[in-house]
Amino acid sequence: MRQALPISFTVNGRRFEGFVPPRKLLSDFLKEDVGLTGVRVSCEHGICGACTILLDGKTARACLTLAVQADGADILTVEGLARDGELHPIQQAFWDNHGLQCGYCTPGMLITAYELLGRNLDPSEAEVREAIAGNICRCTGYVHIVTSILSAARAMRAAGVR
Amino acid sequence: MTVGATKYIGQRIARREDPRFLTGRTRYVDDLRLPGLVHAAFARSVHAHADIVAIRTTAAAAHPGVVGILTSEEAVQASTSIRCDSLFPEWKGTEFPILAWPRVRFVGEAVAVVAAADRYDAEDAAELIEIEYRPRPVVIDLETAAEPGGPVIHERWGDNLFIDRRVKQGDVDAAFAQADLVWERTYRTHRHTGFPMEGRACVADYDPATQVLTLHSATQIPHLVRTGLADTLRLPEHNIRVIAPDVGGGFGIKAHLFPEEAAICLLSMRLGRPVKWIEDTREHLTACIHAREHVHRVKIAVKRDGTLLGIKSDILVDAGAYSVWPWTSSMDVGMAAGLMPGPYRVRHYECRARGVATNKCPLGPYRGVARPSAAFTIERAIEDIARTLGLDPVEMRLKNYVPDDGYPYTSITGMVYDSASLQASLKKAADTIGYSQFRRDQEGARRQGRYLGIGFGTFIEQTAHATNEFIKRGVPIVFGYDSASVSVDPSGKVMVDTSCHSHGQGHETTFAQVVAERLGVPITDVRVRFGDTQSAPYGMGTFASRSAVLGGGAAWKAADIVRGTLLKIAGHVLEVSPQDVEIADGVIQVKGTPQRNMTVAALARLAFHRPEKLPPGIMPADLCATQSYDAPPGYGTWTNAVHATTVEVDVETGFVRLLRYVVVEDCGTMINPLIVDGQVHGGVVQGIGGALLEHLVYDETGQLRSQTLMEYLLPSAVDVPKIEVHHLQTPSPFTLGGFKGMGEGGAIGPLPALGNAVTDALAPLGVAIDALPLSPERVRMALEQAQTRR
Repeated sequence: MRQALPISFTVNGRRFEGFVPPRKLLSDFLKEDVGLTGVRVSCEHGICGACTILLDGKTARACLTLAVQADGADILTVEGLARDGELHPIQQAFWDNHGLQCGYCTPGMLITAYELLGRNLDPSEAEVREAIAGNICRCTGYVHIVTSILSAARAMRAAGVR
Repeated sequence: MTVGATKYIGQRIARREDPRFLTGRTRYVDDLRLPGLVHAAFARSVHAHADIVAIRTTAAAAHPGVVGILTSEEAVQASTSIRCDSLFPEWKGTEFPILAWPRVRFVGEAVAVVAAADRYDAEDAAELIEIEYRPRPVVIDLETAAEPGGPVIHERWGDNLFIDRRVKQGDVDAAFAQADLVWERTYRTHRHTGFPMEGRACVADYDPATQVLTLHSATQIPHLVRTGLADTLRLPEHNIRVIAPDVGGGFGIKAHLFPEEAAICLLSMRLGRPVKWIEDTREHLTACIHAREHVHRVKIAVKRDGTLLGIKSDILVDAGAYSVWPWTSSMDVGMAAGLMPGPYRVRHYECRARGVATNKCPLGPYRGVARPSAAFTIERAIEDIARTLGLDPVEMRLKNYVPDDGYPYTSITGMVYDSASLQASLKKAADTIGYSQFRRDQEGARRQGRYLGIGFGTFIEQTAHATNEFIKRGVPIVFGYDSASVSVDPSGKVMVDTSCHSHGQGHETTFAQVVAERLGVPITDVRVRFGDTQSAPYGMGTFASRSAVLGGGAAWKAADIVRGTLLKIAGHVLEVSPQDVEIADGVIQVKGTPQRNMTVAALARLAFHRPEKLPPGIMPADLCATQSYDAPPGYGTWTNAVHATTVEVDVETGFVRLLRYVVVEDCGTMINPLIVDGQVHGGVVQGIGGALLEHLVYDETGQLRSQTLMEYLLPSAVDVPKIEVHHLQTPSPFTLGGFKGMGEGGAIGPLPALGNAVTDALAPLGVAIDALPLSPERVRMALEQAQTRR
């Protein structure tokens, strides 16, 4: 079980190849081997959603996924949202609306919001709350997070962004 | 234009620190990668109370990847137990070893620690450490533990009381003799905790060559940790550097010296290499900090018209197994006793307050400290009494509040309330939530068999308490000030170094607002740093709603000194009196002659590189000032708020659904209303979690039943409504800027507001809520008990 296995995937548009022990979690692999700092781990048992990433276009808990399961996958983390130094409209909306405090849940929230707005660019407040119900935040009471996501949706609709 | 011409205080400015959090470019402790780093895992007690017979590490040491093990038997030789003693004569203290030896006193207490190449191997090896125990009788139930005769946790004490204090003020017996009603009831709040999204975390990095220990820790109090480590590890303090980098929330839970971080330091010193520890959820829930387990037995004397005459209270606080540093186990006890009368004019008061040791995780600060429990008791009692006397609870409060024009007011327990607006706040909250209309809606709903309720939770909240208050509390460290340095560099840019760490509060923005306004420079020219004891001036840190007042005040004072220096230099250079120059938007000009001007940048370059042009007596170093601030009168500045909520209770399932939640709060002058709103929202939802969901449950053997987030339920976005916040601004007459603290208040109101709302909903069924949390199971139990009584 200690022997490392070859693994390769795409993360934020770049190819990564390496070796990983079979029991290593994807969250640890992304942090320690790929060198990302935007993958945050909190509860380590799939409840809090801080480690949420996009795995082949769908949100996944990096803390409940073995790295080997991501072999061949296309991964998006918070580091992949901004393009050419420009914040993604969701990031910008979180900034404008004070959608974060300590920042620890923020990467998971942003990725979850990105998935939501990818399939529904005009969500109601209830739909936003439902979408982020698997992401715990202890600082904001969710008020400004919900405002941020609704505001991002408006901005993206106006700009025709997807 | 005078000071403040460049206006930043009061502006809703988006946070300047946000881009790094939004793009994943943060540096939390876990992100540190140091050469030679190894990872630690703890072996922890599975018993609530036991003697350690032996610790065997052979199997663990042989596990692949293991580089070192530290047992409690070894650690006790190389360290001094953590002691945090109240100065009150009634106090009995504890020795809290950094690793438990020779006895464990709660489940989860750390006994040994192993370091290995990675966390996986470290956790495997920790499981291989064999600890042999001889179990002892356990002490779990608070009310039993408070009485003599049972097993004792700290043998020399003879009982289980950390402290047993009595207070008697006014003529209590006479007040009770005049009463038309003596309301007698026991109100209970339950054990829960703050659960910041980032748990505890540290990297200790001891350099044997320089003998300098660097500790990177997710702490709210880096300077205090440095002092605590020096005492515990017997190291000279100037050889210790503590760095709190980005920290993922605190809420008080990270405002103590963690025994584990001292153990990790010791392990790093032994190995001569950096050691990382990242706490997991089970460790956090079993062994970090718990809060709020209070029992308040009260008797309240009232006139028929609702006038409060006097209060007698018997307060029990479950303080767990040890006194944590730097708080002592007397903290909740003293605050509950001192703040029980709340915003009401009570002139006769008697109290017995006991801090009780049990075989549970130690009690420590959590957002609100004792005030949520005290407010639950007095606010529940007010509404119970109003209902009994047939009075309106809003009117009864308005009648008994200290009137808005009656401040400063010295409470019966000697607290000086500086200013407040309870009457105006309650009226505004009742209007906003539509109190009168709700009563009509409630009637209609009841006719359809639906149970709606409305509840208020109102309070006046001590914030930014400083020297005099902490002297009064008898704590060993008087948290009487915080500090800041403000310096101008040769390019005219400004650095603010503060002792108040920010772990979500937004100090990089708010402190910059204060300094930019006082100096008269653009906010973009100001940078704020904190968290590194090597650069920040010594101060207490961030807790107890103090940063804006004490840290902000220190920055204000330092900025004013630097501004004075800039004016003196400018006057000299421009050949006018310093009184005749002014600074705005980074430009210094002669009053009335704006064409005679120079930029702060040009002046700073001159000051540092052409010292011969400085006026006599001024040196380049004068462009840096360090100040501490102890907000007068030192008993705190008082924020108030009214929380009003409406709920619907499903009597079949016991489920409580929140309909609306309104807050009217008054924290004096706001530096940044956007951030104030965010703080209130967050506090409220933590409070709702505490009132409805979060519960640390111990069984009778002392095992914690809620060790994961499957049992310890945190509120999600669908569990709570949008929190509506309104502000009144009654500046403090005493503090710089009129600022008051407000970080905790949000978490105080929900316990009483929800207790009252659910009671109001179920009043026709004879239910009165006297204990939390309001889980479906417990609401159903209350309904069934009421049915049995009827």
